[in-house]
Amino acid sequence: MSDLLEAFRLVMATDVLVAIAASAVYGLVVGSLPGLSATMATALLVPVTFWLSPIAAVATIITASAMAIFSGDIPGALLRIPGTPASAAYTDEAYALTRKGQAELALGAGLWFSAIGGIVGTLSLMLLAPLLAEMALNFSTYEYFWLALLGLMCATLVARSSPVKAIASMLLGLLLACIGMENPAGTPRFTFGVAELLGGIEPIPALVGVFAVSEVMRAMASAEPPKLPRRRFGSILASQWTLTKTYQWPMWRGNFVGIIIGVLPGAGADMAAWVSYAMSKRFSKEPEKFGTGHPEGLVEAGASNNASLASGWVPSLLFGIPGDTITAIAIGVLYMKGLNPGPTLFTERAPAMYALYIIFILANLLMIPLGIVMIRLASRILRAPRAAVMPVILLLCAVGAFATTNSLFAVLMVGAFGCLGFLMERNGFPVAALVLGIVMGSMVEQSFVTSLIKSDGDVMPFFERPVSGVLAALTFGALLWPVLALPWNRRAKPARLKEETP
Amino acid sequence: MQLSDRASGLLLAALGAAAAWGGSRLPPVPGQDVGPAAFPMLIGFGLVGCGALIALGIGRGFEAPAADEPAPPGSGWRVLLPPALLLFYVLAAERLGFLPTAFLMVLAAARALGASWRLALPLALLAPPVVHLAFAKLLRVPLPEGLLAAPW
Repeated sequence: MSDLLEAFRLVMATDVLVAIAASAVYGLVVGSLPGLSATMATALLVPVTFWLSPIAAVATIITASAMAIFSGDIPGALLRIPGTPASAAYTDEAYALTRKGQAELALGAGLWFSAIGGIVGTLSLMLLAPLLAEMALNFSTYEYFWLALLGLMCATLVARSSPVKAIASMLLGLLLACIGMENPAGTPRFTFGVAELLGGIEPIPALVGVFAVSEVMRAMASAEPPKLPRRRFGSILASQWTLTKTYQWPMWRGNFVGIIIGVLPGAGADMAAWVSYAMSKRFSKEPEKFGTGHPEGLVEAGASNNASLASGWVPSLLFGIPGDTITAIAIGVLYMKGLNPGPTLFTERAPAMYALYIIFILANLLMIPLGIVMIRLASRILRAPRAAVMPVILLLCAVGAFATTNSLFAVLMVGAFGCLGFLMERNGFPVAALVLGIVMGSMVEQSFVTSLIKSDGDVMPFFERPVSGVLAALTFGALLWPVLALPWNRRAKPARLKEETP
Repeated sequence: MQLSDRASGLLLAALGAAAAWGGSRLPPVPGQDVGPAAFPMLIGFGLVGCGALIALGIGRGFEAPAADEPAPPGSGWRVLLPPALLLFYVLAAERLGFLPTAFLMVLAAARALGASWRLALPLALLAPPVVHLAFAKLLRVPLPEGLLAAPW
């Protein structure tokens, strides 16, 4: 109980409250601009967190990411351009509603069910994390190896990309993580005599390059998105209570699926939204209405992506294994602030953990009033010309990267990773898998090599320990899933073609 | 730049082979079987395999058909402008200072994105001081002064 009071005291500090309010506005605005994703919004925040207290730093990340995931729905519904990849799954549906003149319903559903998903996800985090922490105390390097690998494999299960290319991206990320002397032997590897590379590839410049610079590059090569027509919105929350009652079951299913996907290391909000939308269509009583402006899928997927955002913190806090690219950034911030992830975090730093839960709830409650304001202002914010936004983003990339290490080499890295990200995206290689590879590379190697040294080069202990065996099975399942799904995919395709050409 | 799957696959396979070869030449740790070479070699072989599969076009069935948006004419060189501007920042920031460098960066990027001078000039004049104020003053990032020091 005293821990809880202490947590409230931590959150109610002026700097934390200011940080929450400022990052909420920032997240809403950046998330709503097409092409600027939630991950990018979070990555550009990192240099700012250097100068904040630990709780305020974590609060900015939590608030900004939750707001950005919601506000990605806004341009999705109004322009048919998802603001963040997590909204892409149901963009067509939301846009169809807008065309039917029900933009309020689409946006309101995005807002209302995002907030519900976020709160349910937080409750699951509060419940699951301490339970799993007990178990995690017994984990040794074998389990950590499989967990990290499972996370990487899940990251390759991205919808709409070739699994082989996704695995190749991940391996490329792991290879980049080999650079430097941060390996079990302390030998400089692949540094080519460049002194700056001895310390390895910093995740933040890589993230900023891959997600932000490549977006500026893409803007250079594509036509400007259409301008938003001015419109007046009716009441935004009016019909949401009816929706909640009508689609109560899909909503809970969305929450549940989002939580499960979030807890899996490596799988995040994008995947949660795709899976939930597909499930919603599959189990709906009226699947024929999907795609024509039917709110059921919005309810389920909108709840799901925000629920996964909160539960994605479970593997991050417990094992230091990111649930998605956003928590990958968050883990870096946690280490920097002395809140090193691990099962003992929940016993030794209990007030900080309670504070984290409170911030989550607060952010999701704050989302409703701020979100309404944002929706009303959206037509004005989305009018900001791209030619004015992108140059400033580029400048922030340079300054932000410089701020992480105070060296110009980081700026160079940002440029290089921008080119790499642009090239990969153009050729169908998912960049999120690359980023997770870079972030988790040293952990995978460390646990792999230490385990092999412990077992004298024997691989059997990797499978013999009970938890380790289960995790191994899950990992191979994730690896083989595309192979199993291929025949099903093939059969589904001709059927879909027939539907489209009656 | 759109590469064919064959080209990108072969490129990855070559990279993987190079990584495995480079890894195998790393000095081992005396008295231990598993050293710094194991991991890069494993990844290298994995990349060779994936590269080969990509070159053969396996797994393509999962890819969503690429949204073919017609690129505006002459956009080829403009794609390279953002990284070029970052390179310019690296080379010029120390000598020119943050404010002039950022002015030129923002101006060039805005013009390339099709902004009119009436939008680009005020933006380039206003954005750098604001960013400087936030990062140098509030966050205490040592941004270079160069020729033109900020008044604060």
